[in-house]
Amino acid sequence: MRPPIKPVPPRSSQYGIDPDLVKTRVSELPGMTSVMLTDLFPDLPEVIFPSDAGVLVIRQAAEAALQNVDMSKIKPEHSVNILASHHGFTLMGGEPYAEMLKTLKDVVEARTGCRNVRLRAGVGLRFRETEEYIKRHGLDVYFDGKAIGVAPIDQGIPIETEIGTLFGLKKVYDADWIIHAHNSDVREVHFHRQVDRAVKPFGMSYARIETRSTYHQNLGPRAANFTARAIFDSTFVQSKFAFASFLTVAPNGIIGVDVDSDLYALNDRVTQTGLRYYGKIMTLFGELEDYICALDFPCPVVYVFSAGVIYANVVGANTDLYDLDLPLPAYTWYTEAFYGKQGRPLLADIPTVNRAIKMCVQNYAWTGYPTAFFSEHIPTIVVGQEQAELFNRDPQNLTYMDHAMVAESTESAMEFAYKTTGTRKVVIFDGAVGGINVSESLAEELLQKAPAVSAKVDEILLPKWLRQRGIELVRPK
Amino acid sequence: MKNVNLLAVIDKEKCIGCKTCVKVCPVLAIKMEDRLAIVDGEMCRGCNACEQRCPVYAINMVKREQPVVVKVDVGSVDYAKIEDLCRKAKFHPEQLICYCTATRAEEIAAAIILGADSPEKLSLLTGARTGCKVECIQPLLRLLEAAGVEPQPPEGGWQWYGKTVTVWDISEEVKQKYASRGFYFDEDIKLLDRVVAAPLQGRSES
Repeated sequence: MRPPIKPVPPRSSQYGIDPDLVKTRVSELPGMTSVMLTDLFPDLPEVIFPSDAGVLVIRQAAEAALQNVDMSKIKPEHSVNILASHHGFTLMGGEPYAEMLKTLKDVVEARTGCRNVRLRAGVGLRFRETEEYIKRHGLDVYFDGKAIGVAPIDQGIPIETEIGTLFGLKKVYDADWIIHAHNSDVREVHFHRQVDRAVKPFGMSYARIETRSTYHQNLGPRAANFTARAIFDSTFVQSKFAFASFLTVAPNGIIGVDVDSDLYALNDRVTQTGLRYYGKIMTLFGELEDYICALDFPCPVVYVFSAGVIYANVVGANTDLYDLDLPLPAYTWYTEAFYGKQGRPLLADIPTVNRAIKMCVQNYAWTGYPTAFFSEHIPTIVVGQEQAELFNRDPQNLTYMDHAMVAESTESAMEFAYKTTGTRKVVIFDGAVGGINVSESLAEELLQKAPAVSAKVDEILLPKWLRQRGIELVRPK
Repeated sequence: MKNVNLLAVIDKEKCIGCKTCVKVCPVLAIKMEDRLAIVDGEMCRGCNACEQRCPVYAINMVKREQPVVVKVDVGSVDYAKIEDLCRKAKFHPEQLICYCTATRAEEIAAAIILGADSPEKLSLLTGARTGCKVECIQPLLRLLEAAGVEPQPPEGGWQWYGKTVTVWDISEEVKQKYASRGFYFDEDIKLLDRVVAAPLQGRSES
């Protein structure tokens, strides 16, 4: 068995506990090992990062990709907003995404003579998160003081769309041109269902609360992401859109930088990789039986990830998140909304959460996303009173600890989980790059089940998923 | 329902009087006096919006010595009226509409029937929209509209701008145009209609 992969270290943030309080990482405990993702799925693509050359490879890939995009409409006297989102900064420490943003600024300035290039970085529900990343990665200095975080309660502007008026953030669109700088990591499959994934920020991190509420409350689980398309296709946004630059990502690392002035062409490529590669890992998680989830990453509970899959999607892995014939995943906000006052779904065919998860040990995770649903439906132990208190002070999680227990240490939490669940199979959500940190018994199960999952995705699921999205199958080179 | 355990406190030495906090407060608990922000402690719902957007970090959230529970008693209103209003707005009465405070449509409907006529008053009375401050503005506006109330956004504020489309409003033309791209409008309408019509689970306290 391989030794565990070094996890992403705790990070100082107003949304998490002091990193010094994280005394033990779950992967350091006895009986933990790692499995390389290419040992599970040998057809995963080659990655350019992590690399011995560091983020230089990202700069080189971005520069090469940018050669193919027309920037002639950007004039020296114009202004340009590079639009970023928080999630890019959580991928592999955030340096690759930050480097892509810096490269974009450098290349746009060099090619167009424009000197008014700003960074506008949107957020999820932690309104100062990108402020923290801007400082951490020196982007405020790099962008000559013109880098800011924007939040969904900031001043808005109406955007006339095919489905009526929606609302964007004024500071996102206060330039002559916008460059959509994002990534292809699938992340919230329970929300976007891999439909227009590349377009989503226009309905989310670049949008006002009215638009985001439309997505999550008004349109339904499979029509939700149309809010993003409606805004992106609007005359207003099209008049400003220059091009998109994406860090392309697979579960095992960064595979390149993709730049296109046709966002839907880029989206089709992103959809292929999202379904093909993440689909296999996601399906494999759905086949596992009786295990403990250990959360150990500087992100809110739902977003901690393992093998590129976020915890929220493992909680829903008993349903095929990519299959659009299934209306509701086991976890999404629509599903959560449809639990009645007796704590069970209002309709008999609404799936319950993944019963293979026997317990959740939260060694380290952040606040800033409503997650009481998770502790209410999955037995949860939180390590450390400080972490419990942080959740008790979070207006989005005031009842999270009503349903969770507190353990004094990582060791005691895991021992309790082993004894009460009767299993020693553990998946660790610690952002390990290139592989997955797990217990030895779970490693064996992963390796044993992966070949059949791979064949099932290639032969049955992937063709169906692509057909549902109107995208033709492209075989990887 | 919300257990309000935090209170916004302004650092007068740092406040620059920019009014950002006034513009983002979902319950209108902040006013300006002598060019400085003043928080009404009784109204503050501890949502952190002001603290998170203050450009000079002049606001701290402190723990209240005595938490305040805000709640509209669903039992004080004829439940048939609550049910009618919820279903007219296309919500199941027990459907969660605020994920942070676990506020259900029935509590919002009860507040409206009892006289709340704006999102701000609904947030003040129920705590809804004082968690993430993002996701539940549309349900509040839909329920107000179903009750025949037409609220106006707070003047000069950024609290909210307007009601938007629902899936039931999407035109046939749009549905047809994007049917092959993975948008399942009609199928989602069927699902949501089934939820709206589902029987009540109920619980003794209501």
